[in-house]
Amino acid sequence: MTATQERQDMKAASEPRTINLITAVTEALHEEMERDSRVVLFGQDVGARGGVFMATAGLQATFGKERVFDTPLSEASIVGAAVGMAVRGLRPVAEIQFADYMGPGFDQIISQAAKMRYRSGGQYSAPLVIRTPSGGGVKGGHHHSQSPESYYTHTPGLKVVMPSTPYDAKGLLKAAIRGEDPVIFFEPKRLYRASKGEVPGHDYTVKIGEAAVRREGSDLSLIGYGGVMPDLERAADALETEGVSVEVIDLRSLVPWDRELVVDSVQKTGRAVLVSEAPRISNFMGEVAYAIQDAAFDSLLAPIGQVAGFDIPYPYVQDKIYLPGPNRITAACVQALNY
Amino acid sequence: MTPAQINPTPPVEALPTPEIQPFTAEPIRYVAEDGLPIHTLPAAYTPERLRELHGVMLRAREFDRKLITLLRQGRTTFYAQSSGMEATQVGLAHSIRPGHDWVWPYYRDHTLALALGVPMFELISQVLGSNSDPSRGRQMPHHFAARKQHFVSISSSIANQVPPATGTAMAQKYLGTDEITVCTFGDGATSEGDWHAGMNMAGAMAAPCLFVCENNQWAISTNLRGQTASENIHIKAKAYGMPGFYVDGNDIVAVMEVCTHAAEWVRAGNGPALVECLTYRVGSHSNADADAEKHYRTREEVQEWLGRDPVVRVEKLLEHLGHPIESRERADMIAAVHRDVDEQVIRAEATGQPDWRIMFEDVYSDMPAHLREEAAMLRAEQEGERK
Repeated sequence: MTATQERQDMKAASEPRTINLITAVTEALHEEMERDSRVVLFGQDVGARGGVFMATAGLQATFGKERVFDTPLSEASIVGAAVGMAVRGLRPVAEIQFADYMGPGFDQIISQAAKMRYRSGGQYSAPLVIRTPSGGGVKGGHHHSQSPESYYTHTPGLKVVMPSTPYDAKGLLKAAIRGEDPVIFFEPKRLYRASKGEVPGHDYTVKIGEAAVRREGSDLSLIGYGGVMPDLERAADALETEGVSVEVIDLRSLVPWDRELVVDSVQKTGRAVLVSEAPRISNFMGEVAYAIQDAAFDSLLAPIGQVAGFDIPYPYVQDKIYLPGPNRITAACVQALNY
Repeated sequence: MTPAQINPTPPVEALPTPEIQPFTAEPIRYVAEDGLPIHTLPAAYTPERLRELHGVMLRAREFDRKLITLLRQGRTTFYAQSSGMEATQVGLAHSIRPGHDWVWPYYRDHTLALALGVPMFELISQVLGSNSDPSRGRQMPHHFAARKQHFVSISSSIANQVPPATGTAMAQKYLGTDEITVCTFGDGATSEGDWHAGMNMAGAMAAPCLFVCENNQWAISTNLRGQTASENIHIKAKAYGMPGFYVDGNDIVAVMEVCTHAAEWVRAGNGPALVECLTYRVGSHSNADADAEKHYRTREEVQEWLGRDPVVRVEKLLEHLGHPIESRERADMIAAVHRDVDEQVIRAEATGQPDWRIMFEDVYSDMPAHLREEAAMLRAEQEGERK
């Protein structure tokens, strides 16, 4: 490569590009595998096919079957193997086809991955990433649409992440792979191609545990994460045409989560509406609501609003109306504003 | 187990050497229950060597006995004995290169740990949850980890060390090392989904993992017949495309020979193997079911297995070879272990208990804000109480 070509390549590499969320995932994996030979990627169908959603497309061709490979159909083995590899010094990134299939791997996640560092007094650790598509909106019925993040946020030792933009997906996944802790990385599948945005041409990471303010506002804090984020934006748009100034916050990480940013926001706006598509009972947003009333009770001008999924198994035919869409979100905001 | 057919008439040297074949109907055995060799002993088993092995086994036996005393004195809360299983664990240890190979153990493996060179002081510290516990008092007694010996942390969930062991073996293959992984479990573990998942994955991935079933025939109160309708455990290996070996787990020579053979086979890049060591848990599952004989097994059964005691078998063998361990010598050895344990207990107890401040450490690589806050809250509470 000539010096001129190299300079041109560097220039090209520094140009920001607009890509979709799944491409961001693929790019993050590609770049991390290039950077560190300890990074290996496996799961069901991730090799030649590139995964059911094609998140790993082309990676086996680039990095070979030793580093990108299909395993037997066994979530317990996929997660368990990731634990054993991490203990031995690799940086495994395991894919579970759908978050709904994590059940058989659940014990490996909560009993092995989450506790390895603690129970061994720091003698061992399990720095691994489990990537899995989650959430509804793709007509998948209850075995392809659930939002099980709360099970994992309830287990100390795990980090739980769910991006909603290509920038965050790429930066957070890189941070997850480079980190020293086990990370459950939920990818909102309905945003894989629907969410487009700019990513820098250069290497970057997004710190796990920091929320993002998507738009600033002064009347109400609208807080969500993952697949519902575009609906929060739509609701905020609708309210702004009515003259309401909405602050939209994307949590991005659930454990650890950015309590400080949320509390500061609610102290400023006086109202909070929390949105997620997971069933309401034991929903992670219950934790957010507790934190707000604990730290910003005196600032509250209205009860904290919550829009969640219903406490039923995710229905197939009623897919769209199950999800908290812009209308339901807007209505909750209006209720808080009119209190 | 059918008692070995003994014919003491021909000289030992004239007996055939067994070929270590997988999938045998009867467990492979070198030394009969009365201490007579059934086959020519491999040359390595000199009387000196056998005495050494006997010493390790006796030490583990007496360690168990002392720790039960400690439990009865209320100085610890839980203990799971491995008495009766010494030949299995000490024998297995000899096929493992400590600090080179990796071990994913189960919770009854302290004899294996001792045989691999984990210091007794560390084990006692862990059982006591003292400040000298390398696991920092985080797990209940007996669930230790020892980094130096590559002895990975013990989990209480049954069989969930099996898929990770497969993963460690896969990593070894990826890294191109000559290490192998050894994964142990009891007979009960073979009923768990994780066992089948991990075995299957290891087979499919040709992972260099040696699986060892310490079949002590009881998973708390469920016996082997209640556990599986399978003829035995080792034949299950066939379903996962690996060889399965069946060995008399109370015969240390047989365990060493078979485990070494299987380990070498794994080390040579042939993929995983399973060894079933048929042995017996002489004591209760733990102190929680100390009345085992009253509830789920007969005194006769225990007596029958006491007759197959692996420690006594080596003593009988040595006697047969003309190198008996004199009763005075044996008593001295036992007394030395008891003294040793007593000293280590005093030493471990003297280090005190881990400070509550460390409770929030090692959850993550860095302490997140919410844990720092909880730690501060507890500090205020603890220090407030002290005032």
